[in-house]
Amino acid sequence: MDLLSRILYDMVYHTTPILLCVLGGLFAYKAGVLNIALEGMMLAGSFIAVFVALQTQNTFLIYLSALLVCAVIGLIFAYLAVNKKGNVIIIGLAINMLVPAIASFILQFMGVPNLTAKWVNPVNFRFDIPLIKDIPYLGPILSGHPLGTYIGLIMIFVASVVLYKTRFGIYTRVIGESPNAATSLGIQANKYATWAILIGALCSAVAGLNLSFERLGIFTNGMTAGRGFIAIAAIYCGKGKPVQSALYALIFGLARSLAINLSVFAGSISALFDIIPYLLMIAILAVNSAYEIRNFRMRTYW
Amino acid sequence: MKSNKTLINLLNSVLPVLLALLIGAILILAIGENPFEAYGIMFGKSLFTLRGLTNTLHAAGPLLLTGAAIAITFRAGLFNMGVEGQLLIGGFMAGLVGAYLHISNPFLHKAVAFAVGAAAGVLFALIPALLRAYFRVDEMVVTLTLNYVMMTILEYLSSGPFRDQGAGYVTTPTIDQSAMFTRFGSTRLTPFFILALLVFGILWYLNAKTEFGYKIEAIGKNPEFSEATGLRVRRSIIMLILVSGAISGFAGAGHMMSQEYKYTLSFSGVTGLGWDGMLVSLLGSHSPLGIVISSIFYSALKTGADNINMYTSIPKEIVAVIQGIIILFLSIRFLNERFGLLEKLSKKKGEKNGPAL
Repeated sequence: MDLLSRILYDMVYHTTPILLCVLGGLFAYKAGVLNIALEGMMLAGSFIAVFVALQTQNTFLIYLSALLVCAVIGLIFAYLAVNKKGNVIIIGLAINMLVPAIASFILQFMGVPNLTAKWVNPVNFRFDIPLIKDIPYLGPILSGHPLGTYIGLIMIFVASVVLYKTRFGIYTRVIGESPNAATSLGIQANKYATWAILIGALCSAVAGLNLSFERLGIFTNGMTAGRGFIAIAAIYCGKGKPVQSALYALIFGLARSLAINLSVFAGSISALFDIIPYLLMIAILAVNSAYEIRNFRMRTYW
Repeated sequence: MKSNKTLINLLNSVLPVLLALLIGAILILAIGENPFEAYGIMFGKSLFTLRGLTNTLHAAGPLLLTGAAIAITFRAGLFNMGVEGQLLIGGFMAGLVGAYLHISNPFLHKAVAFAVGAAAGVLFALIPALLRAYFRVDEMVVTLTLNYVMMTILEYLSSGPFRDQGAGYVTTPTIDQSAMFTRFGSTRLTPFFILALLVFGILWYLNAKTEFGYKIEAIGKNPEFSEATGLRVRRSIIMLILVSGAISGFAGAGHMMSQEYKYTLSFSGVTGLGWDGMLVSLLGSHSPLGIVISSIFYSALKTGADNINMYTSIPKEIVAVIQGIIILFLSIRFLNERFGLLEKLSKKKGEKNGPAL
């Protein structure tokens, strides 16, 4: 593979966990609940996946347990945020702190610095797609990825349909735009908000699985490294629209891919490449906001 | 009625702690250890011996400041989540001043290091402050993100250009003797704790007794109204985030000169002093007295964790778990003024007393 196609392949590869979080998280965003716990949920998914992989080689069980644990965390979040009307930012931060704490508690108790499932060979988890594989140029970039990537790519389509063409999606958006109007129409706001949060949790589980299990078979604490926050920023930048938010996720994937592939030429300073996605994200947020307030001139402090 | 409200507030802070300790106890039981023994060691060794108590107070210094840094922005309805990053850059810069600027006067050396640390915190806080005030960018997302940026940059700087080549691990050179706070006797306590209390007192005074504090309160309650009455909301928001950054940077500088003496990758500890400040502020419901008490409580929890590690085989991460659970429970109000348990109890009492009157 030449450099360009490797950069593009890596772009898709590194976009995957962010993309999954974005597509899951935007439901909660649209329902008016800011879920910053995506990061913690993703970490929980990656921990459980490798933890279970140490006990069994049954892939189905591994997926199931990661999804279940993240669903439980999602339900806790939803219960506190939706039913108990707690401060979502604090709940999210608490989960983001609690998950790595529990993970390192268990790691300490087991007396290991990280978890390694030796039987996992990442190559075995990469699939080629029969027809797409043979397309020149595009084939080597889109094919040969782990399952999580394909789920992510399909989810772009699924999320758009669910959000704009189904009753669930429309109700979810109504709740976010005007909770009172939704309630007056008899929409059970709590139920839809809970489901929206749950979708985010499940997608984060797949993202975490992809990150630790499918790619490496290794879990190290803090391996999510702020990807959940990048996802939130992508959702913000794309205003929760599936295709746009996914494109922002792709930009972050590209930055990460460039950071890794160009580090060969740059040497030790390449460590600083990693901050590019974060700075890029802040710049995008600023430009977006600046553009918005130009159409919004009121006598107010902003 | 007012005392009733304070009591409810107090219970809202105490109940989450008790619940979290209970869950922690279950966890300790689950790994086959005795929770009573563990908690006994944790709090006994950190609060009820002179050595432990001074250690606890020493560790409470930075927490007091980071707690205050978060509380003052909370009160204005802002979320400065970047305290951790601002503390790191403050500590790092103070470390550079301590190691590379050889000022023989110990007082001057520390003053310069404090000034540089606080200034670094301010400069770093300037980004979210300006973005928030002029472009209306959510300061929470920006500050959260910038924490990662700062961590990466400092990791690069401390392992590259400013690395102490003689050390076997990633660290900056140790600061000069003249930049180190001297300890009181055989305790770990240094004048920095008194300095932290002093700064905290000044902040409290600014908040409670001056126009600035009143403005903050007004902005937190209703920014549009404040603007309409002629408050310069934009300027106040910038000021506030910068003050928060200055306190964080100051806290980092103090932590450097009273405890760490060099910048390592674990400079701010397992959970991070900035995040601990978050818990301190929440636990103390953003009030001055509350923050003092909760910073000492949380510091005891942390000092106790070291003892747990020493005397039992329970991983010290148990404290981080308990901390997370406390924050989780603090997010909701267990009791409130209308449907509170207390209200019901006092009502029953009232009914009983009613006929007699």
